[in-house]
Amino acid sequence: MALHIGADPTRCAGCRYCELWCSYRHEGIFSPYFSRIKVVRNDALRIDFPLTCQHCEDAPCAKICPTNALYRDMNSGLVKLVDELCMGCGSCVIACPYGYLSLHPISSKPLICDLCGGSPECIKRCPTGALFLTYEVLSRDIEEDDPLGRDHAVAVAETKKIRKMWVARSE
Amino acid sequence: MSRLYGYAGKILRIDLSRREVKYEELSKDLVKRYVGGRGFNVRRLYNEVPPGTDPLGPENKLMIATGPVAGTGFPLGTRVNVSAKSPLTGILGDSNAGGHFGSEMKYAGVDQIILEGESPKPVYIYITNKTVEFRDAEGIWGQRISKAYDQILREIRDHRAQIALVGPAAENGVLFGGVFFNMIRPAARTGMGTVMASKKVKAIVVRGEGFVEVAKPGEFKALVDEIEREVYTHEQYWPRRIMGTTRILLAGNKIGMLPGFHFTKGEVDFAFEVSGEIMAVKYNVRTRGCFSCVVPCSRVYVFKDSSGLSKVSEGLEYEALAGMTVRIGNRDLRKALEAVDLVNDLGMDVITTSEVISWAMELYQRGDLRDDELGGLKLEWGNMDSVLELIKQIAYKQGFGSILSEGVARAAEKLGRGKDIAFHVKKLEMIQADPRALKGYGLGFAVASRGADHLRSEPFIELSDDPELGRKMFGEPEATMRLGVRGKGKLVAYYENICALVDSLEVCKNLAENMNILDYEKTARLLTAITGLSFTIDEVRDIGERIINLERAYLVREGIRRKDDTLPKRFLKEPMPNGRSKGHIIELQQMLDEYYEVRGWDIKTGIPKESVLKRLGLDDVVQDLKRRGVELT
Repeated sequence: MALHIGADPTRCAGCRYCELWCSYRHEGIFSPYFSRIKVVRNDALRIDFPLTCQHCEDAPCAKICPTNALYRDMNSGLVKLVDELCMGCGSCVIACPYGYLSLHPISSKPLICDLCGGSPECIKRCPTGALFLTYEVLSRDIEEDDPLGRDHAVAVAETKKIRKMWVARSE
Repeated sequence: MSRLYGYAGKILRIDLSRREVKYEELSKDLVKRYVGGRGFNVRRLYNEVPPGTDPLGPENKLMIATGPVAGTGFPLGTRVNVSAKSPLTGILGDSNAGGHFGSEMKYAGVDQIILEGESPKPVYIYITNKTVEFRDAEGIWGQRISKAYDQILREIRDHRAQIALVGPAAENGVLFGGVFFNMIRPAARTGMGTVMASKKVKAIVVRGEGFVEVAKPGEFKALVDEIEREVYTHEQYWPRRIMGTTRILLAGNKIGMLPGFHFTKGEVDFAFEVSGEIMAVKYNVRTRGCFSCVVPCSRVYVFKDSSGLSKVSEGLEYEALAGMTVRIGNRDLRKALEAVDLVNDLGMDVITTSEVISWAMELYQRGDLRDDELGGLKLEWGNMDSVLELIKQIAYKQGFGSILSEGVARAAEKLGRGKDIAFHVKKLEMIQADPRALKGYGLGFAVASRGADHLRSEPFIELSDDPELGRKMFGEPEATMRLGVRGKGKLVAYYENICALVDSLEVCKNLAENMNILDYEKTARLLTAITGLSFTIDEVRDIGERIINLERAYLVREGIRRKDDTLPKRFLKEPMPNGRSKGHIIELQQMLDEYYEVRGWDIKTGIPKESVLKRLGLDDVVQDLKRRGVELT
């Protein structure tokens, strides 16, 4: 098990401030499409869920990688990317059980969380304290045919309990 | 030529009649003089939408623009302005909204979207970095905001796309339909949704994949760190996070500024029951924010509607809360939530809706509305069954609602009754504040370029009631006291300039104005760091004033003069009947004289002087006005 970034959907405000400063830290520019943390939002369902790399024990992304560019780093326990080995085929994106991985819009290499080498920018910048470090991994029990994608399905599954609670207490 | 950082650098022009799309370059000159958002829009409106344009005809143009800050990691910096000639007021139509749309525009590579012409059939427009698609909207035409939103999302299968929508009210020609971003963040005032619907556009969807780069990252980051520190230690931080603007209701009751029972009571005995505080305890479940916001002030709340169904909804600011409670005499908070939800879902401006309903209620109370005219509706104060029914009637232009659907000024005209209590300025309905209790706000309503509205000046500082502050800032102790009169011209002009600048930066007024964190000096540093162009403090200060004068010139061209800068008679003649502002009227003429003086506008006519326009570099406007026979002094 690897320490990774976790999220509390009851606190997240969906502002994407984490995405912006993640992209700045890693790329020097501002854009959610260059971020290694991904906030799934749905205004109709009022969902905000920051999806993060779980650095899974079985690491399906590393397993499928044809060039071994993705590998488990034994020191930190994280799944890491060797830039020079990656050919941008995108197999890892399909393999990711959470729909978390996406490709860098310019270099076509997977955007994977590296915990900023130990002091994650997203946790520092989050205005509501919704992000933290954890060992707990997300459930993979999700609706497979969600039209809005696997990441959306994870967000729906993770926020279902909260919604039930809200509805139960409504007056 | 150095590169222009911060902006996408492109203006997207969409001709709906011919289904043609054109990208135009953003000029540096426009950036230096107008910054973005409201400034870009009003400049183009002045050039391209001349007097005589039919607001609902194909020749009107709808513009959506964002600013240099959107899409960067600057806190509270992603808003958009929607502008066109207004069908409700017949003059400048302009409305500002938050959400996630502005930043997505930048990522999709545009700073401003212009809709021209008129589509032969309902469409929605899908904008990405590579393509602009006209998609069939026959299937979602007529649908409420929530339903249409859900359907578009399913159709494009992408939760990252941002959507601007109009509701059925706008489609039916209700003159105060809004453009709704992220479902509950409308640019609602002045009927911009109605203009969009008249072009047969149900929605604009943007999905980018680009990025925003700033010119001087080091300085930019240092400024952000500085601002974050100021925000997190600000006294307004937690109240805003917990209640948003809904906290104003109880505070407003204490100073007697509420629009109770259609401005007949400044203080009501049930304010606590319908306050933001009760809202927070009973209904709110979590906070939500706009893009890149560190003061997320929107709240998700859950309530049971009349049929017993639990509804998860969001938003609800002071204007909506007070509009559906104290203004119409309703003590039931839950029913108010239901009413606001309905107004939003049908796509209307909740401020205007609350005015037309409370206006009808006051008429009914004093016996000026007959039962047969109302088709069985009983309009006693706080009768929420009637209110809910009337909201639907307005949106679908049925029954008595069809008279109200054109706004209160036209309704009074048509009915031939109730002109004396139709609370609007330049045909835009008044917000939820009684100007007799907030005199700076009152002056602001009278002179605002879009009609009775607080967000053009928002002289929030007069609530401090601190004479020292007034002496320091304006040399007039009364300027920062809410019941004071002298110095209000200076106060309003000062904050109008700031609001125009902030609306063009497209930063949230909570940060820049109410929390008073982004001053001219920081703005100059911010613009320099983002764009790489040099901005001096003086240049930045001129931008707001330039926009105000340009807007005024636009109004002058449409025939607006000093006589139109007025307030409804009740506030000028009838003293406030109760509460902490009891006995006050608003001394408007005195404040107006001072205001024109400060502005450098002609005191008799309210037309900007030639020297002022020229000092701000508006020579083309001077020529245009002269050519149209406007006499400049």
